[in-house]
Amino acid sequence: MIKILTACGAGINSSHQIKTAIEEEMRNRGYDVAVDAVVIKDITEEMLKEYDIFAPIAKPDFGFEIYIPIVEAGPILYRIPSMSEPVFDEMEQIIKSINK
Amino acid sequence: MDIIIDFANKIFKPLIDLGAPPMMFIILAFLAMLMRVKPSKAIEGGLKLAIALTGMGAIIGILTGSFAPALQDFVKSTGIHLSITDVGWAPLATITWGSPFTLYFLLLLVILNIVLLIFKKTNTLDVDIFNVWHLAIVGLIVLYYSNNNLLLATLLVLLIGVMKFINADLMKPTFNDMLKMPSTNPTTTTHMNFMLNPLIMVFDKIIDKFFPFIDKYDFDATTLNKKIGFWGSKFAIGVYLGAFVGLLGQQSVKEIFTLAFTGGMCLELFSVIGTWFIGAVEPLSKGITDFMSKRLKGRTFNIGIDWPFVAARAEMWAVANILAPIMLIIALVLPGNKILPLGGIIAIGLTPALLIVTRGRVLRMVIIGTFMLPVFLWSGTIIAPFVTKTAKSVGAFPKGISDSVLITHSTLEGPVEKFLAVTIGKLGSEFRIQNLFFVIVFLAVYILLFAWYVKQMKRRNEGYKNTVKNKSSEKQIV
Repeated sequence: MIKILTACGAGINSSHQIKTAIEEEMRNRGYDVAVDAVVIKDITEEMLKEYDIFAPIAKPDFGFEIYIPIVEAGPILYRIPSMSEPVFDEMEQIIKSINK
Repeated sequence: MDIIIDFANKIFKPLIDLGAPPMMFIILAFLAMLMRVKPSKAIEGGLKLAIALTGMGAIIGILTGSFAPALQDFVKSTGIHLSITDVGWAPLATITWGSPFTLYFLLLLVILNIVLLIFKKTNTLDVDIFNVWHLAIVGLIVLYYSNNNLLLATLLVLLIGVMKFINADLMKPTFNDMLKMPSTNPTTTTHMNFMLNPLIMVFDKIIDKFFPFIDKYDFDATTLNKKIGFWGSKFAIGVYLGAFVGLLGQQSVKEIFTLAFTGGMCLELFSVIGTWFIGAVEPLSKGITDFMSKRLKGRTFNIGIDWPFVAARAEMWAVANILAPIMLIIALVLPGNKILPLGGIIAIGLTPALLIVTRGRVLRMVIIGTFMLPVFLWSGTIIAPFVTKTAKSVGAFPKGISDSVLITHSTLEGPVEKFLAVTIGKLGSEFRIQNLFFVIVFLAVYILLFAWYVKQMKRRNEGYKNTVKNKSSEKQIV
């Protein structure tokens, strides 16, 4: 199981759109993933350690290093398949390389 | 207009009599199917809206049930008249989506977007269907105050709608700059948040002119955010504001704990139910986006999404954290305010606009934000009767709670537009010269201020263009 973290302003709208899209697409591609959606300001260094991939809308500056792979998931929000495709492809590559 | 309303009433009457959750379940599922969404997905969406409305009602019931009596005691023991419960944005979004008029305003704005794109008056395709509620609530306020004058509501929604598209185009270079997006990135937003930009810019220019030295004292936002940690999270805020009400309301120790934990729980649950509700609108959003992008094939444009792509900037959170206690103090002393901040105390309806106008200068954001907070509190106070009544009419307000209990959202985006909606609504219900005069003056100031802002932003965007040019010529020289 690959654990992915996504985030947005209230942990309600954008992040849940990303969560639903990633879970659906990755499962269709045959990967076992679980995505959590939170408020971006509540993310701590410890919290990120619990996850395999971080998928924010755009890369944030937390004031600490992020040691897990980051996939910028913003294009998923455009709701246009040709634009979200590269995000999913990048994520698939990383999942393959994690090899869990 | 009357014919349309009559016709709508004939169709909707039996539906309306069912109550809002079943009615919206049927309408939303039907509309999604009309947009060629698969029936199973459409029904899933409709059901999620129905349970979200029911769920919001249940949590509002728990929150007001425990907070309303404590707030009454708070008023008695402190003499401070803060009796309105601040439920935050998620319940208001759900309530607004619980009205069939919201679907009408949605249709109107989709058509407006397509027309503006065709005539090249905007370069933004808005796919943020969910946030239509911010403009729909403005329309609903006009309807509420004008005894359902649909024409006035429609005109105001269209006017602000056009301005929001213009604003989305204007802000694009700033987004590119602040989020380091390449110019090929199409991200922008039409969010209501940023309709406060003109007013914020007035203050920003004053600082430019008279107090430019304050920028020297700017500080790093990330350090502050790290220090605040979990104390700024929803449940923590609910807990200590619950305790605050309990203490000042002179409740028993046991009751203070109950209030604290109830506050924390409700704020968390509002978010959880908010996510059901996003799922409810999702199939419709997908259907509308497919419909629009099919019809606009071959054109490149910017794409309007919800604002949190700017949430990557630490400054907006640092400022939201700093403004929270400031807002509590302002709320206690501000004449005309009746809200005790709770669900809306982290002012994400304000800080993104501060970020974009000041371009991330934290101290300016805090100072200007402090001046903006009263506008939000007053606006939240005047719309409270409307919010409460609408919540009741869409079945998101529990029965058996005293009529004097009011709910609102303390930092609802577009506070100026709420005043405008009330002023215009009052003209609709009572056509008097005095009311007409207010509306004309208000509209004139509102539009002129926006025009001034457009000019400033164009100048800013010229600057961006020149720096890009300089950079590329530097490269050539090298």
